[in-house]
Amino acid sequence: MSIELSAASPPLPQPDGLTRFFWDGVGEGELRIQCCQDCGYYIHYPKPMCRRCQSTALEGKAVSGSATLYSWTIAVQAFHPFWIERLPFTLATVELVEQPGLMMASQIVDCPEDRLQAGMPLEVVFVELTPELTLPFFRPAAVDPEDAR
Amino acid sequence: MMPGRRVAIAGVGYSTIGRHTGLSSDELVRQSTLAALDDAGLRMADIDGLATVGSDALSNAWMMGIAPLHWWNSTLQAPAFVYAAHQAISAIASGFCETALALRIIQQQPTGKKLLSGGGKSNPMTAGLTHAGGDRQFLVPFGAGSPVNFAGLLTQRHVSQYGTTEEHFGHHVIAQREHASLNEDAFFRDRLTMEEYLASRYVSKPVRLLDCDYPCDSGSAVIFTTEERARDLDKPAVLVEAASLVATRDIQFEILENMVETSPHVCAKEIWARTELGPDDVDTAHLYDGFSIIPFQWLEAFGFCGPGEAGPFIAEGNTRRGGRLPMNTDGGACNVGRRHGANFCIESVRQLRGECGERQVEGAEVSVFTNSFGPFCGAVLLTRG
Repeated sequence: MSIELSAASPPLPQPDGLTRFFWDGVGEGELRIQCCQDCGYYIHYPKPMCRRCQSTALEGKAVSGSATLYSWTIAVQAFHPFWIERLPFTLATVELVEQPGLMMASQIVDCPEDRLQAGMPLEVVFVELTPELTLPFFRPAAVDPEDAR
Repeated sequence: MMPGRRVAIAGVGYSTIGRHTGLSSDELVRQSTLAALDDAGLRMADIDGLATVGSDALSNAWMMGIAPLHWWNSTLQAPAFVYAAHQAISAIASGFCETALALRIIQQQPTGKKLLSGGGKSNPMTAGLTHAGGDRQFLVPFGAGSPVNFAGLLTQRHVSQYGTTEEHFGHHVIAQREHASLNEDAFFRDRLTMEEYLASRYVSKPVRLLDCDYPCDSGSAVIFTTEERARDLDKPAVLVEAASLVATRDIQFEILENMVETSPHVCAKEIWARTELGPDDVDTAHLYDGFSIIPFQWLEAFGFCGPGEAGPFIAEGNTRRGGRLPMNTDGGACNVGRRHGANFCIESVRQLRGECGERQVEGAEVSVFTNSFGPFCGAVLLTRG
């Protein structure tokens, strides 16, 4: 199988019963994270039970989209043709403000490399990459969430 | 203390190792097993247990005429060779078998170029991939998913949190290459300068090509047995002083809550709890180097240096030949090729037997080898018997 680089489509998420809420949320411009209805614990990536209280009463709950930058890496080599023309890009681990240790893998956009700093406040931004794929990326927060409180 | 019977290593061996050798998995198994048996002075009939990462234990045993098998284990999602070693140690310590073969069999992955042309269909990153389900749907569509990307994340966090510099990683890479220059089995033997390291291209910044292990085909075999049996053999026995296998979460490196203290920190604590020896007793360390950041974490986890001090510790020359803690004396997987930690078990055994020639650590009596980091890992502390 050979694929023309210019015509390359990105690998798409394959939602299932457990994860559909996340992608439905993305489609509606809302970041939703699985949350336990019994103990309030957030779980990412979604699972069929709460790892803190073993409850199975779980829902996709809208979160603020505020996060801090935990770490990042500048991808200068891609392993899928879709991403080749978009090099370099900044992959990141962000910590959502809703819960300590609630980490999410994403990309940072609208931020030059020399401004990246561990702990910097971020906000979610929904980026339409192709008509089939919109992703929740993060960018430097317009307002520091600490100041907003 | 370690549970059960005392375990020893009787023999070690490699297959032919090279880039896309065309050798089948079975051939890598056959060659490495015969080499290890020859090294031990044992016969195939002595083996009654088999643990492997990367091949199928039952098919390997049948092929080689090992029957009956009293215990076996085959897996892939595990901390590579140390997992097979730990299984073998457990089986012998518990008495379920007497002599166990531990294997790490690796057939080289397709190159990046091949992946981009849609080749390597079973590979999770090939251009042929149109969808990602399960946990991977939160990673692959975002442009992530290669191990070198999570290596970049874990490296950058060490840089951000501790002020580790590119030169620190350079010192490590240069020291390993210096060791490789003394190992005729290494792919890369020319000494490196800091300028050459800093000119090496990035793959996932701050990780450079020279921070990554070198893919190849390799078969590695180690024969574990009881201390009693090992002492009857011709070569000096190498004893398992302590072993530990740890998983702190599932395989999701990219969303670790803490990227500078990961499973090695738990594993190292367990090792020190199972022995009366301590960090100062270790003569040589063999710390998995799939990416440069990994041995940095292990140095700190074991307490060979303080938290965040691996960079300066290495820059001061401590891990070099003649230093306080000669590390990865075979040159590491960046130079001898990907053997997923089996090389560090084998090099430890050879150091403790005094077989390392020019790169021998004088009077080596205690060695440690490790595999992996992040969500799961393992370590084994060995002593000269």
